[in-house]
Amino acid sequence: MKTHTRRMLVLVMMLTLAACQQPAPVTAAPEDTGGSAKGDFGPPVGEPIEAILTAPPLVPPATGRKQPAKVVVNLEVREIEKEISEGVTYTFWTFGGTVPGSFIRIRQGDTVEFHLNNHPDSKMPHNIDLHAVTGPGGGAASSFTAPGHSSQFTFKALNAGLYVYHCATAPVGMHVANGMYGLILVEPPEGLPAVDKEYYVMQGDFYTVGKYREKGLQPFDMQKAIEENATYVLFNGSEGALLGDNALPAKVGETVRLYVGNGGPNLSSSFHVIGEIFDKVWFEGGTRYQENVQTTMVPAGGSAIVEFRAEVPGTSVIVDHALFRAFNKGALGMLKFEGPEDKTIYSGKEIDSVYLGDKAASAAPVAAAAQAAATGALTLEQQVKSGEALFAGTCSTCHQSNGAGLPNVFPPLAKSDYLNADKDRAIAIILNGLSGPVTVNGASYNSVMPPMSQLNDDEIANILTYTYNSWDNAGGQISAADVARVRAATPRPEGAAH
Amino acid sequence: MKILIMLLALALMVATAEVRCAEAALPQQSVYQLGDSFSDHNGQDFALASRRGKPQLVAMFYTSCRYVCPLIIDSAKAVEHSLDADQRQHLQVLLISMDPDRDDVAALKATAQARRLDSSRWTLARTSRDGVRRVAALLGVRYRALADGEFNHTSALVLLDIDGRVLARTEKLGTAPDPAFMQQVRAALGSQHATAPHAGSAPD
Amino acid sequence: MRLLPLAMLMVPALGLAGGGYVTLPGGSYKSVLAYEDTGGTVTLAPFELMKRPVTNAEFLKFVRRLPQWQRDRVPSVFAESRYLAHWASATALGSAALPEQPVVMVSWFAASAYCEAAGARLPTWNEWEYAAAADATRADARADPAWREQILSWYAKPSNQPLAEVGQSPANHYGVQDLHGLVWEWTEDYASMLVSADNRTQQEQDRLQFCGAGAIAMDDRENYAVLMRVALLSSMEAANLTSNLGFRCARSIDEGTP
Repeated sequence: MKTHTRRMLVLVMMLTLAACQQPAPVTAAPEDTGGSAKGDFGPPVGEPIEAILTAPPLVPPATGRKQPAKVVVNLEVREIEKEISEGVTYTFWTFGGTVPGSFIRIRQGDTVEFHLNNHPDSKMPHNIDLHAVTGPGGGAASSFTAPGHSSQFTFKALNAGLYVYHCATAPVGMHVANGMYGLILVEPPEGLPAVDKEYYVMQGDFYTVGKYREKGLQPFDMQKAIEENATYVLFNGSEGALLGDNALPAKVGETVRLYVGNGGPNLSSSFHVIGEIFDKVWFEGGTRYQENVQTTMVPAGGSAIVEFRAEVPGTSVIVDHALFRAFNKGALGMLKFEGPEDKTIYSGKEIDSVYLGDKAASAAPVAAAAQAAATGALTLEQQVKSGEALFAGTCSTCHQSNGAGLPNVFPPLAKSDYLNADKDRAIAIILNGLSGPVTVNGASYNSVMPPMSQLNDDEIANILTYTYNSWDNAGGQISAADVARVRAATPRPEGAAH
Repeated sequence: MKILIMLLALALMVATAEVRCAEAALPQQSVYQLGDSFSDHNGQDFALASRRGKPQLVAMFYTSCRYVCPLIIDSAKAVEHSLDADQRQHLQVLLISMDPDRDDVAALKATAQARRLDSSRWTLARTSRDGVRRVAALLGVRYRALADGEFNHTSALVLLDIDGRVLARTEKLGTAPDPAFMQQVRAALGSQHATAPHAGSAPD
Repeated sequence: MRLLPLAMLMVPALGLAGGGYVTLPGGSYKSVLAYEDTGGTVTLAPFELMKRPVTNAEFLKFVRRLPQWQRDRVPSVFAESRYLAHWASATALGSAALPEQPVVMVSWFAASAYCEAAGARLPTWNEWEYAAAADATRADARADPAWREQILSWYAKPSNQPLAEVGQSPANHYGVQDLHGLVWEWTEDYASMLVSADNRTQQEQDRLQFCGAGAIAMDDRENYAVLMRVALLSSMEAANLTSNLGFRCARSIDEGTP
């Protein structure tokens, strides 16, 4: 009943528009774009065009058209076994052989002749519901296709926007959980502003019988799906899809646009790129954009278009900011920006100073020592006191506050033969860090200590003096001059602070 | 049954070349490939292939049906009414019962009379229960017997060409015929009679 | 005169019963297809069902006896062009169709004809569903999540690998094999599943499309394992076929059953 009324309305609207043929030119910022009622620009012009379909993360070029066309889409359904994580495979049901399915790009007012081809090897019948379709089921009933068959239906894309499409065959949730979703972009008549890079990223949640990263072919787990207890939450259908060599590249200074979708079936995405602020977000894939957004919500069965400019080189990590999905279920991707540094925008680490919080009272000796050093009246006691405070802030995390270290991981400083054997070596280690195997008190260690380049000569002298005068070590005193001498003798990497 | 066995015996005896030749005349896609025997509302037995030569409007129904099936007959009548007298003479209507248990020849006859169906153009027919299943499959009609004796079914008018191939199909029933379907009906009648002035003219 | 293909089916049984039949006792059970008029409870008379799906070897025997069902002779209204396309020729199996693999790529018309030639018929959906509700020890194991998981594991396997031979799976409670995990199977009344192609709008669309009572309601949404079979069958036309769709035959015991 509802459907009928709606169809009638659309019909009436189309009839009303028939006289116009073309939308009225926009002279002022309109209150609204008119939606589907103003989305029919008349019959298709010119020869039918075969739609360019792309596999993720690629996006077809802009249509660049100024008139409505007839666009033929041929989309093939294939059921294929592919890697979902390293050493883990899954039987995905796909539109076009990938998860998410092929990206489709058309223009508002286009007439789309849609062919859904179900591969002869398929076990299942499938269909497609395109959210860009105005009509019952979004095409689902008209496209129900047995294995080895092909269905055709035609629709006019009345609304601009970024739309999800998905399979709607029973049980719908399972078809979607197996990867049957993708995006169709309906460009507004004037197109979208040109950008330097466009990518296609789509999130989905997956439910396997085995645990996260349990090896082998993993079957779908319906019970977990019903409980919305995802085993994997992924961008583009596998854990490595956007990592390492698959990171999405861009150059510094380029504007990047991501067409972001969420196939679900269950989970909404808190879509975020670490270290980026979205200059624009066409939230919910609609007509308007919001500016200056940190995290945008992409609901299951929904989308967003996000845009930002690569300002500095480096790797930006794409996450679902529901963080256990990112770090425990695979919802990670990468953008790799290459180009010259701009320290005025982002400097890298400049200072790592001691911050003691509620131990602030104990910072007093550090200040006293600094003052005494400046006046040349620094005592051993002042050095030890200052060194203790600095040690607590800088060294104790690894070497422990009692200097005992952690067995097999971080060597001890207490009663340490290695430490007591060579004071200059100790200074050099603080300055330059240490990696590779060492033997301390008969046990071997092979961890990495970063250079403590944030410490000045006074501070290093005080820390070592404290260390040598604690925990049955050999005692003695290290001066700032000792540190300066070692520093001068050993070149040290620039900016290696960590 | 006896006829079938005789046919079979004949078929086995006749030289294969001859059989193949006879079959070659009937298109692969023809619904008339179906070998089941039907009876019309006058008690005459016939095979579907005997309907060759004129386009057919075919539908499935059952006589005790109160709601949709009368509408099916109305819809077929509406198609006839939107044709002129000459065209009408060249279209035959075949309604096949999906309820062979209750729709015997007498029941079909009663319905034909009650609905004033012209026997020169209209045939109400029945076949075996297996035959119903097969002919429904060929026509794309889905049906299921309900516990109370009614049937749940899809309702369609199917247009066959002179050799029994499906030309068009509509599930839009009612007294105003589906325009797209009507266009196909006129085209079928037009292509059959080159003299008919209606072919391709005045599409809706 | 014209040869009527189905008249040929009156030939008496040709020894096409392969693994033989087992007898199922019948009785009442709850179908996953809860029609409004039945409420889903179905009563079945005792019947016989083939122990295993029909094999390539058995089907080859059939098409040799009834050549009109050979792939180069069958009219396209009865079987689409890919009918038995994986066979080496119209009358030879070849490496892609081993004798003991279940026959697939057969239309409903061809499967029905085979069963008729064997003096039998295709099982009804309800007969099939009833037999398939069993596991090795129970007549109705459907409430057991393990039963469901086992069925679903078949769906998780990609279908581009060769089919197993028939008779590899353990017999169920009734002694029937391969109802799950090998192939889809035709049923006599597959076309009576008035399932909408878009099941999300089930109720509304059924009413529009099918009119009147008896709309189907898939009450047991949990039983997706069986529903997927329904979805597959409801996507098929009678001349259609797939590389995973085979069949087995059934026989009524009591002639009076509908």
